[in-house]
Amino acid sequence: MKSLLKQKVQLAFGFALLTLLLVGTASYHSISVSDESTRWVWHTHEVLSHIQDLLLSMESIDTGSREYVLTGKESSLQPYYVSIQKIEEDQEAIRSLTLDNAVQQRQLPALAKLAAESILRTGRIIALRRNQGPEAATAALASGPDQQVKAEFQEAAGKLQSEELRLRELRSTKAQRYSSESRIFLIVGTLFGILAVAAAGWSTARDTAKREVAEKKYRGLLEAAPDGMVVVNQGGEIVLLNAQAEKHFGYRRDELLGQKVKRIIPEGFAERLITDGTRTAAEALEQQIGTGIELYGQRKDGSRFPIEMMLSPLESPEGMLVTAAIRDITTRREAEALLALKVEELNRSNVELEQFAYVASHDLQEPLRMVASYTQLLSKRYKGRLDSDADEFIAFAVDGASRMQHLIQDLLVYSRVGKRGGELVGVSSEEALQQAVLNLRGAIEESGALVTHDPLPRVMADDIQLTQLLQNLVGNAIKYQRPGVPLVHISAAQEDGGMWQFSIQDNGLGIDPQFFEKIFGMFQRLHKREEFAGTGMGLAICKKIVERHGGKIWVESQPGFGSNFRFTLAAS
Amino acid sequence: MSIEVLLVEDSPGDVRLTQEAFREANGAIHLHVASDGVEAMAFLGREGDYIHVPRPDFILLDLNLPKMDGREVLANIKNDDSLKTIPTIILTTSNAEADIVKSYQLQANCYLTKPVQLDAFEDLVKSINEFWITKVKLPQQRLVG
Repeated sequence: MKSLLKQKVQLAFGFALLTLLLVGTASYHSISVSDESTRWVWHTHEVLSHIQDLLLSMESIDTGSREYVLTGKESSLQPYYVSIQKIEEDQEAIRSLTLDNAVQQRQLPALAKLAAESILRTGRIIALRRNQGPEAATAALASGPDQQVKAEFQEAAGKLQSEELRLRELRSTKAQRYSSESRIFLIVGTLFGILAVAAAGWSTARDTAKREVAEKKYRGLLEAAPDGMVVVNQGGEIVLLNAQAEKHFGYRRDELLGQKVKRIIPEGFAERLITDGTRTAAEALEQQIGTGIELYGQRKDGSRFPIEMMLSPLESPEGMLVTAAIRDITTRREAEALLALKVEELNRSNVELEQFAYVASHDLQEPLRMVASYTQLLSKRYKGRLDSDADEFIAFAVDGASRMQHLIQDLLVYSRVGKRGGELVGVSSEEALQQAVLNLRGAIEESGALVTHDPLPRVMADDIQLTQLLQNLVGNAIKYQRPGVPLVHISAAQEDGGMWQFSIQDNGLGIDPQFFEKIFGMFQRLHKREEFAGTGMGLAICKKIVERHGGKIWVESQPGFGSNFRFTLAAS
Repeated sequence: MSIEVLLVEDSPGDVRLTQEAFREANGAIHLHVASDGVEAMAFLGREGDYIHVPRPDFILLDLNLPKMDGREVLANIKNDDSLKTIPTIILTTSNAEADIVKSYQLQANCYLTKPVQLDAFEDLVKSINEFWITKVKLPQQRLVG
């Protein structure tokens, strides 16, 4: 993009130049015309002067002849002879000068004729004097026709004169007009030119001032920036940098200005991409601009450090520049590395823990089975055949083993929730509920419970685990009942954000608020074993399943008024 | 007529439980025991100490055995023309899908998981008796080599 300022200046001065040229041309034209007019005026003067000469010559002839008549001296005729010559010349001059004027030309023959006649008559008188003496000549002089001719001549000359005078007047006015036109043109044009130049000058000055202010502001911002700022030109040379950049790279400003940016950022900016020959520098730059790039910066002492760089373009009269904001991300990288390490450790630890829980539960089952089975066998085979103490002892052993088996089974289930869980896919929660109810049909029949539900949505879940979740919750609802018919109702409502909130409402015993959190813990029970069977793992398993699915689980309840277990799952 | 059953099981406790359960279910069942895979193959091949043993009517096979494990035993049985006609029932604690699939791939006749509770176990043995002995037709190969 060409500099706007340059364009403006060029335009303004071009305009001024044009104006000057126009003014010059117009003035030149005016002056030429004026010049010519003046010449024509002068021309008229010449004609008039010749006419005047003619008249004078005629007078001279007259005077000369009279003198001769009086004196009889030949010397008196000198003017006479000269004038005749002159009359001839003047007439010729007038003729040639008025060639362009038809009016005048028409008068000339008449004038010539009169002149010739006058000269003839005067000649005759002179001849008379010479030949017949003074008295004859004087008598001829006195006779009329000579005067008549003279008068006619003067009249004719007068006509010529007045025509020329008329012309002179006309041409004079014209000349004057042209002259003043020229003046006006010159003045207006010059003023215009001055104005144009002034405007251009003012505009330039204003723009320059604006630019200076902007530049100053820019430099100020650059200097104050918290990141290192380096400005690079298209040749890859550093043209500007701020104090922070000096600090980052360990150079003084003057050591870096004019240097190739490769010195501090070895991999360069767009150079990397330019060498990939399919792009131009501009394209490569466009692609890089706006995205943070992670590179290595090189300090004066040669040491390298990781940096993050953000590029943005900058227009300047010298062409396209690139401003780079450079951030030393050494600490960030270290933190990231540390985080990654910790996360890995945590993951490993989690995996180990789960593996441990699984293996432990699995391997504990075998010996436990032996204990449980044989104590039960003992109980069966020898009940009543040993003393009553033995029966009691055996009963406790059987019970203990049995409980342990249940605990371990539940622990196994719990540990498998994360380890063995399938991927989360779109699943019908209604179908999962149906399966859970099927699994619970024994308990449902026995308790006479009524299980109802609203239409339930599709959710993102592992179907086996979802069934387990619902089975545990519905099972609990039936188990912890008050006298009467246990009622369980399952429904779901959609929250904003796309999660479904499920609700399992029962009319059972209810739960004291102080235990709302506790019951979701491992091996947590609120009742004695004699009251209700169970390992205390059911809700812990539910919680683990829900959390694995990215949801939350909680309970709302009041002792004596039933419980409402709620959990959230992502919609499918 | 007695029914010969080979039980391949390494845990003595489990062996005894199984014996007691079968005794209760059907007194005519004669339970032979091999405690590892090698012994099981020797029994079936009637080698060494086992020259005079009868050919079993069916085999109850645990998967996790020392020396030669159950899967190998199963494969050996089903690859042997003279042995493969003996119904081989996997009876194990594992309910892992992988084990189930592998067993059927190796052509086990069926797969049973030992219940944890004693009475359930006793019921299972009763079912085995009812199905495999009273209902199922077994090949009469005792007289053949």
